[in-house]
This record gives sequence, C-alpha cells and structure tokens, in this order.
Amino acid sequence: MRRIDTDLLVVGGGPAGLEAARAAAEAGIAVDLVDAGFRPGGQYWMQDPTGAPPLSAQGSKGAAAIAKAQATGVAFHSGAEVFAAFPDRRVLANAADGPIEFTPRAIIVATGAHDRAMPFPGWTLPGVMTPGAGQRLAKLGGTSAGERVVLAGSGPFLMAVAETLVKLGKPPVALIEARPTDSAIIAHLARHPGRWREAARLLAGARAIPERRSGWIVTEAIGSERVTAVRIAPVDRSGRIDRARSETIGGIDALLVGWGFRPMIELTALLRCRHEHDPALGGWHCVTDRASGRTSVEGVYAAGEVTGIAGAVPARLSGRLAGLSAAADLGADTAGDEGERASLAEQLARARAFSDGLGRLYAPPADLVTLARDDTVVCRCEEITRADIAAAFADGTDAVAGAKIWTRAGMGRCQGRICGAAVAAIAAAETGITPREAGFNPPRIPLRPVPLSVVLETTRDGQE
Amino acid sequence: MKPGAGMKADAVVVGAGVVGAAVARALAVSGRRVVIVEQGVPGGAVSGASLACIGTHMMDEDELPLLKWCCDEWAAFASVAPDFEYSRCGQLRFLKQESERRSADEWIGIETAAGLSPTLLDPDAVRRIEPELTGPIHAATWSPNSAVVNPFLAVRRLLEAAQAAGATLVSRRPVTALRLAGGRIAGVETAEGPIEAGIVVLAGGPWTAKLAATAGVDLPIVPRKAQCLATVSVPPSIRTVVGACKAEGGVDAGYTQIQQAMSGQILFNTVLEGGVTAAGSPDDIPEVDRAFIRDSVATLLFLFPAFVQIDLLRSWVRYEAVTPDDRFLTGPAGPDGLFIAAGDGGTGFVRSLGMARIIADFVGGRESPFRRDLYDPARFDMKAAA
Ligand SMILES: Cc1cc2nc3c(=O)[nH]c(=O)nc-3n(C[C@H](O)[C@H](O)[C@H](O)COP(=O)(O)OP(=O)(O)OC[C@H]3O[C@@H](n4cnc5c(N)ncnc54)[C@H](O)[C@@H]3O)c2cc1C
Repeated sequence: MRRIDTDLLVVGGGPAGLEAARAAAEAGIAVDLVDAGFRPGGQYWMQDPTGAPPLSAQGSKGAAAIAKAQATGVAFHSGAEVFAAFPDRRVLANAADGPIEFTPRAIIVATGAHDRAMPFPGWTLPGVMTPGAGQRLAKLGGTSAGERVVLAGSGPFLMAVAETLVKLGKPPVALIEARPTDSAIIAHLARHPGRWREAARLLAGARAIPERRSGWIVTEAIGSERVTAVRIAPVDRSGRIDRARSETIGGIDALLVGWGFRPMIELTALLRCRHEHDPALGGWHCVTDRASGRTSVEGVYAAGEVTGIAGAVPARLSGRLAGLSAAADLGADTAGDEGERASLAEQLARARAFSDGLGRLYAPPADLVTLARDDTVVCRCEEITRADIAAAFADGTDAVAGAKIWTRAGMGRCQGRICGAAVAAIAAAETGITPREAGFNPPRIPLRPVPLSVVLETTRDGQE
Repeated sequence: MKPGAGMKADAVVVGAGVVGAAVARALAVSGRRVVIVEQGVPGGAVSGASLACIGTHMMDEDELPLLKWCCDEWAAFASVAPDFEYSRCGQLRFLKQESERRSADEWIGIETAAGLSPTLLDPDAVRRIEPELTGPIHAATWSPNSAVVNPFLAVRRLLEAAQAAGATLVSRRPVTALRLAGGRIAGVETAEGPIEAGIVVLAGGPWTAKLAATAGVDLPIVPRKAQCLATVSVPPSIRTVVGACKAEGGVDAGYTQIQQAMSGQILFNTVLEGGVTAAGSPDDIPEVDRAFIRDSVATLLFLFPAFVQIDLLRSWVRYEAVTPDDRFLTGPAGPDGLFIAAGDGGTGFVRSLGMARIIADFVGGRESPFRRDLYDPARFDMKAAA
C-alpha cells in the first residue's frame, strides 16, 4: 500500500475539484487529487480515456484546466476510488495498481452528481438508460445509445445530451420534456443575459430533432428483448399526468430518461458533514458556507454539485473558493486574496441564482411517483417491487430506513445509490411524510465494494 | 391523524426491536390492547443489525433451561408465521490450539448435562460439515441445534402477529417520559401527545435506562459498541454459524461470528480483547473501527482463505444494552404497572421470546416455565444491600 502524506486531498477531478486543487496549489499548498475516472475531467469535462485530444470545446476547456492544475504541481491519482474515510481524516482509495492511504490535513470533497432515475414500467429493459449514461457513451466511445433514440425527462441537461447526439450525427427522434414551456422559463432566462448564448446554442442544436414536445412525460417503455416503443402522456403545470390522452412513439431502439441530478454525498455523509434536503438542489446535499466551502466538519470542505446541483459554472467558482479558503486555513500566505474571494463569492451567488431558479422550474413533476406500478421493480439489485415497499409501509414501518430493512430495497450491491431517492418518494407518497423525513441510505465503509484482500492490506498495520 | 395520538391502551410497549415486538405479541395474544411505540423504524436499532443466531451453545449455564425453551419457541413460531428464513443450520466454534480444549470440554459437559448434544470435532470432521473452512484450525465444537433467522423479517413477523391480535404499531414517535398518577404508571408522553395505559413495558434497548429515570427508576444498563461487516452476495459457501470457542473472560475476551445470509451476503465480525474503539453513543453512532475491520477480515480469511477476492460491501455499528452480569433486566420495577425488558448483553435475539413470556406471565399473574429471578431488575440492589 502506498502512503501519501499531504496538505490537501481533493476528491473528484471535475470542474470543482480541478479548480480547487489548482487554487490551493498556486497558494503553495501540497495537493493530491484523487479521481475514479481513467482521466480527470469528470462528467462535464470528460476526457478521452485513451488520451486522444478532445473533440469539443467543452473537452478542450477541461484539458486546459487539467494541464493548468498539473503545471501548479497537483499530484493526480486517476482511476482511484475512495472507499473509506476515518474520523482522523485518513482516506483509503483503491487503484488498479493497489490501494493508497492518504493522510491529508484537509479534504475538499468535489464528488459531483449522479443521474436522478425514477422507476416506471419498462425502465429495466435493455436500451433504457439515463441521459448521463447516454452522454458518457457518446463522449467516451463516440457511440449513440441507439439508432433511434428518445430523449426524455426534465431539465436543461437533456438539451446538452441532444447537442452531443446531434454532433455525433445521431439526433434523437424525439425530445420529451416534462416541463411545459411557458413565460416563467423565458422570464428566468431574461434575468440572466450571461446565459443567452448558451441557451441559444442549445436551442439551435435541438432543431435537428424531428419531434420536440414539452409538457409530456414518458409513462412506460415497451419491448420484449429491448425497448421498441414508449407511451407518453401530457403533464400539466401542477405535475398531473393526463393518461386519457396517451400516445405511443414506436420504432425506437433506445430511451434516455432522467430527472436531473442528485449530489453524490457519500463521502461528505461518511465524514458526518451536515446535509439538507432541497428538491431544487437535487435533494440531499452537503451544507457549506458558500463563501469558503467549509462544511460543518473542521478540515472538510465541499465544492460543486455535492453542495447542491447547479452546473459547471458554479462548480468552478465554488471549487476555486474552497481551494483558496482551505489553503488559507492551512496556513498559506493568502494576503491579497480577499478581493478575489469577494468577487468569486459574488459571481457564485449570481450563478447560483440562475441554477437554483432552473432547479425549481424543472423540478420533477408531482405525479412522477405514480408511474411505478405495483409490479414495477424499484430496487434493481435486490429486485424489490413497489408493491413490496408499499406492503412494508402498510405493515407499520416508514421512511427509507424502514423500507430497507423490511424489503431489502437498498441492501444490494449499489447500497441504494440508484433507488434511494425513488424509495423516499414512494415513502412520501404512501405514508404522507416529506421526502426529507423519509431520509436517505446512510453511506458506510466501504463506499464501494472492495476486495477483502485490499481491505486487509489497507488496515493490516493501521493504528486504531 | 397519525395512529397513536391521544390513544388509550391496556399496555404500551416502548421500543419495536425484537424484544418489544415479542412482548407486544405476547401481551396482545393474551387479550390486552397494546400500543407499540417506536422512536425510529421498527427493528431499525440493534435488532436490525443482528446476526440473530438462535442457540444454546456457550451461552450461560444458569440460563440453559430458558435458552432451550427459547429455541423451541422460535421453531414453533417459524412453523406458524410467514417465512422469516428460520434455518436450523447448527453452529461450529473453532479452537486454534490445544489450550482451548479445557474450555470446550467444560461447555460440552455443561450442555450435555442439560440434555443437549454438542460434540468436539477434528478438522476433517469440521470440513465435512463446512467444506470451505480450510484454515488451520485445531478442532471445533459442534452444536447441531443452533438456528439463524433473518433479523429484519423476524421482527416484522412478530409485529404482524401482534397486530393480528389487535396491537397498534406507531413508528418514528419517541417516548419522552413516563406518566405517573397516584404513584403508579399511567402511560407515556410523546412529542405528539400522551398515550394512556396502566401498564408500560420498557423494551428500549440501550435507551431504556434514560426513560426509566423519568419515573425515578435507576437501571444498571450501559451501552456497548457492536460492529459487523458484510460481503457482497456470493453463491452458497457457508452452511453453519461459525464462531470462536468461548474463552475465559466472556464477551470482553473477544468473539467471532461468521455466517451467510440467505441473500448470499457473508456476515462476519471478530472483536479481540482490548480493542480500542472510537468514541460514540447510541445517539451518535460512529463508523466501524479500523482495527475491528482488520481483525474481522483476518479471522474470516484465516478460516476461509478462498474468500480473499470477495468484495466487502458494508459495515455497521450499534450500541447494545449491557448489564453487570450480561443478563436481561426483565420484570416489574419501580412504580406499579412499570415493567422492564432490556439489557440484552449482546445475545438478546434468542432470548427475546423468553423475556416476552416472563412479562406476559407477570402481567397475567402466572408462573413462568423457567427461573425468572435471574432477570429481576432489582437483583443488583439486593446484592448491594446484603
Ligand atoms: C452485530 C450483532 C450481532 C448479534 N448477534 C446476535 C446473535 O447471533 N444472537 C442473539 O441472540 N443476539 C445477537 N445480537 C444481539 C441482539 O441483536 C440484541 O440483543 C437484540 O436485538 C436486542 O433487542 P432489543 O429489542 O432489546 O433492542 P433494539 O433492537 O435496540 O430495540 C429497542 C428499540 O427501542 C426503541 N426505543 C428506545 N427508546 C425509545 C423511546 N424513548 N421511545 C420510543 N422508542 C424507543 C429503539 O429505537 C429501538 O428500536 C447481535 C447484535 C449485534 C449488533
């Protein structure tokens, strides 16, 4: 096992983590950055795993950010997954060439987000995946999820995926956005002129898609070996679905459907940072002081999506802020930084106002939880249906924790990462509690399954 | 209205762990109107973390009659209740060296005298029972009557049986204090109002002492950390419950328990003597200790070296309730109408049905089919006075 003593460990190599690492390194702090991907960049600045030069402007920006961080002396550990952290801040990661133990003086958690998937009939069919997975396929492998793709769900990320697929020469056959387009969206956009260009570009890209609907929702994926059709129905402003007016889109071979993102809070939760629930921020997120990135735990900072879904611009800003304040707290000479930090905080507030507003506008529709039928599998690892979960609630338990122990939903290999939000929504719908009261599956060591041999190696001669 | 608010009942059971669930079932079946009040989710505290071995092997000589009764009761419940993965798989306790023989022989003698049939096996005989146990053990004791249950489902089934007999279950409602009227118990206070009842049974595990104190009752229960690990699901590879031969010094001298759940996950823990542990309490539960992870994995791989590439999936920590002699406090205590059933000492799953029987017998004015003086909540006061 390698042992690395460092000032600052940054976990996550997306826009937030890269900016944080660079800012701290520039301030003279020893920084190590650990990232699970083959190459740093994260989801947004995703880099080709073979090292091939980026094809998109976004990818080039990422490559530049990586190069800058490297130039400042940040030590990168790619392909290394953090699986444990202890109260003394020791962090264990597992890499292809063996485990690493980091003993940092401070940690910045910039672990990003994962797709918010919600179960519906047919969602386990081959060919059905999240927009994030479709985007990864396109960016990493240069392939589309299918020849005839339906892109559905809600939120601006759908437009980004559409853009990627159009560029690949595989425009989706249909884009089904649940949020009805209305003056509220236009008014929100009007307040943020800085975002007009991006919006215009995304809208122009979407023109290549033959069928575009807003105020419609996919209620079912149909197929036997693979998805071949979807049922869609109108959904109104209050989130009610009108199934009487359902239609079918046939002749498809893939469905990308998702409801925005959820902060990846496993590590901050394991480190016992304070978390809060806000649907506009993707649900549970790590609470930070926005101007410094400090969490409720001393020596632990968080930046980017883990602090609430907001996108790449706030991620970069919050990353830089966290890097600067961690460096200052670690004793770097940061005199003269006050001006920059104040300006960053101001920019972050503005960027957040935009993204928080979008988050509220594109909140998943109220009826989303009604899509899963009794026989729809909710927990895929343990194959637990909605009826199983409802029966447990009828027997007198409640919340995510209650569903977990009485049905095993969330007890399998993914430990509830995929189904947790869905179980919370079902708990809320079935027992009248709020999604916040429903809670989440608390992450435990190990954060990811790791071979016993590695566990033994990393704990063998450790102190208590 | 949520169930429970402003309710009246004959008996309130505080805590829906395996003990509270068993007590509620016993009281409801004997015709009492029961309300079970749980601060979290039913079975979510210690019971939901349990390895839930139901057995008599290397436990407590004085408790053997009760333990035997409990094992039979669990088997009987399994034959009438919907499935809770009851499996009479037997238990092996391995010896690493000859010096442990004395302890093994002693236990075998005690249990044989009580009508049980444990034996000592050489490593080859062990492997006929547990083929993957290829590690260099010296010998193992074999107790064929041990069983395991799924702890989540077992609590759920007990609660279902209680509910079928008319009990009401209220989840996520902490009881904040006991209610007294005219010197006797009158019910409980909750954040959402009182629940009136002439009988209150405290089955609150490590939280019991705090609640009893609200009625001026002092209980010698302290919390003790218990930890466990689980691998991902693998094909059937462990058939029995595998433990370490009990050494002198009881639980504090360390223990091992390894078994495979029906889900395929391998559940295991090893606590060695003098392990330093992170600070915590039932209300502020830390993560597993690093040394605990090491000792548990090392012991598992010592016994089952072929498992080295299996993935670790999860860990968990709970605080169990411990009394000075590791036996429950079960029976009446303090004001009339107040009963205690807590202080599980780390093996409360098997004994829960017996504790429920004691409470039901006290409430119903009957004798119990085994000694109940062993569990008298006041036994330490009497010793101090003598
Ligand atoms: C890893 C591990 C392995 C184990 N293996 C075995 C084994 O193999 N065999 C065996 O027999 N035992 C085993 N045990 C021990 C066994 O699980 C416990 O003894 C048993 O579950 C205790 O049950 P309980 O009902 O007393 O406690 P709990 O399950 O903790 O139940 C107490 C309940 O009371 C509730 N409560 C407390 N205060 C209040 C309040 N004020 N208001 C409302 N609710 C309240 C709590 O929330 C809790 O749900 C093991 C335990 C662990 C942790």
